[in-house]
Amino acid sequence: MKSEFRAAMAQFPCKIGNKQYNISIMKKYIEKAQCQDADIIIFPEMSLTGYTTRDLTYELAEKIPGKSIEKMDGFAKEHGLYIVFGMPERSEKGDTILYNTAVLVGPEGYVGKYRKMHLPTHSVFEEKRYFRLGYHTPIFQTGIGPIGMMICYDIFFPEVARALRLQGAKLIICISASPAIRKKFFETLTMARAIENTCYLAYVNLVGIENGLQFWGGSRLIGPSGHLITKLKYDEEDFSFGDFDYEDLKPVEAFVPTLRDLRPELYRSLMNFSEYL
Amino acid sequence: MKLQENLLQIDPKSTEERITHFIQDYIKKTKAKGVVLGLSGGVDSAVGATLSVKAVGSTKVLALYMPEEETYNKTDHQHAKLIAGKLELQLKDIDLTRVLDTLYRTIPDYDPRNSISRGNLKARTRMVILYYYANLQKRIVVGSSDKSEAMIGYFTKWGDGAMDIAPLMDLYKTQVRKLALHLSIPPIIVNKPSTPGLLRNQTAEQEIGSRYEILDLILYGLEHFMTTATIAKQLNLPHKTVHAIKKKWLQTEHKRKAPLTTKLQYRTINADFRLIREFDLEE
Repeated sequence: MKSEFRAAMAQFPCKIGNKQYNISIMKKYIEKAQCQDADIIIFPEMSLTGYTTRDLTYELAEKIPGKSIEKMDGFAKEHGLYIVFGMPERSEKGDTILYNTAVLVGPEGYVGKYRKMHLPTHSVFEEKRYFRLGYHTPIFQTGIGPIGMMICYDIFFPEVARALRLQGAKLIICISASPAIRKKFFETLTMARAIENTCYLAYVNLVGIENGLQFWGGSRLIGPSGHLITKLKYDEEDFSFGDFDYEDLKPVEAFVPTLRDLRPELYRSLMNFSEYL
Repeated sequence: MKLQENLLQIDPKSTEERITHFIQDYIKKTKAKGVVLGLSGGVDSAVGATLSVKAVGSTKVLALYMPEEETYNKTDHQHAKLIAGKLELQLKDIDLTRVLDTLYRTIPDYDPRNSISRGNLKARTRMVILYYYANLQKRIVVGSSDKSEAMIGYFTKWGDGAMDIAPLMDLYKTQVRKLALHLSIPPIIVNKPSTPGLLRNQTAEQEIGSRYEILDLILYGLEHFMTTATIAKQLNLPHKTVHAIKKKWLQTEHKRKAPLTTKLQYRTINADFRLIREFDLEE
């Protein structure tokens, strides 16, 4: 089986609440990614609607699969690549049960979704006001290997990436809407998650200004030893791509065998300790 | 955390870029034709004007210098002209003496001894003129309030506190001064005592009762959830001084917020209607 793939990343300023416009921008980048022979293209958190949708989240959210998914998986089929993007999801079970979700579609159609597990509701963030917590860390077997997804604040919790990696994800995708003041945290944590899990990590962040928040972009593909394979511009709309090869995981895993050296008993203790903060 | 001057360091280049980008983006999204701002000859408005020019170009920035007889200061006037000349922007001098005299004569209960009410009347008159130009020429009003003055409520509600955007409101005064020097605003403007220009011989530090270097550290501590006792100890200040600043901060929240109503209905303006200005819904 092929082990080398190409990941494209696109960061763009969304028009808040205007799916039609945001989809048109994503379409443009999907075409560009195909021209560059990319196997996957990744867009930021809530790229379908913009991040700061506040009360409009109730009307903008869609069931998955749904109308926008159909459009996006149509693009995936047409252009023969995988696409990851973010959107507010409406539960099948209740119209006001919403999730902040990352969606994966591919040449085979809709592949799967990840619902954000850690919803920031502090500082300028108010996600718990609108969204329900996600409870699962699924991974997806795709034509470009096993993929796991997470969203933004999840990266502060190493257990999410670890859970994905332990299930076999070799490429972890983190989509994000991170304001500039938190740049340093994300630059450090994205690298840390890649190193500690000896996997590839693609981080794709929003750009533009929403309600005074300036998103810093800086999307990147990071290799298993923490090296930057490609990095997009800070603060500006940008597109780039990088190549990764799963064969290259082996020497890194042998050099720093973090997965081999895991101590499962610590996880039991962690569970107990974390219940009594 | 040790409260000391280095906490108020900024990266002036990045700050300049962020604020410029913010002004540009807001103008683009609102489709405004440009900016109108008050240029007093002081450091805050000089920085606001400079960043507005960097954001949208000098031809789209209109500056108003609005003196009145009681507080006219020739030096401030020269400084306003100096900044306008340096930035090559249009500066209009609008003397408010006559309109204020008319207001004083028109208000049945006008009390010349009440300087606060008179001062606020001046600030609100300036606001009226700024918004006249904003309406007339489809501009937005760019305010120049800084974080120090905004936090302690040292501004006039619906006067200099009225604006469409406040690009400097997340920078303490001492940080605005640093940014001003980075922007090559003449030190004579940067270092002169700040004044709201509402009353004769009025200086901000005298009225506030503290130098900005100290005030900003107190406010920085409050911003970072420090107790007044810890702040006072660290800065070697009487506890009552720090407590008085905290009180000003908390008591003036009404000046920084949109009007309060009582909840009667399902969703309420300024309470649980949570919207932003930038929705761009498809048809």
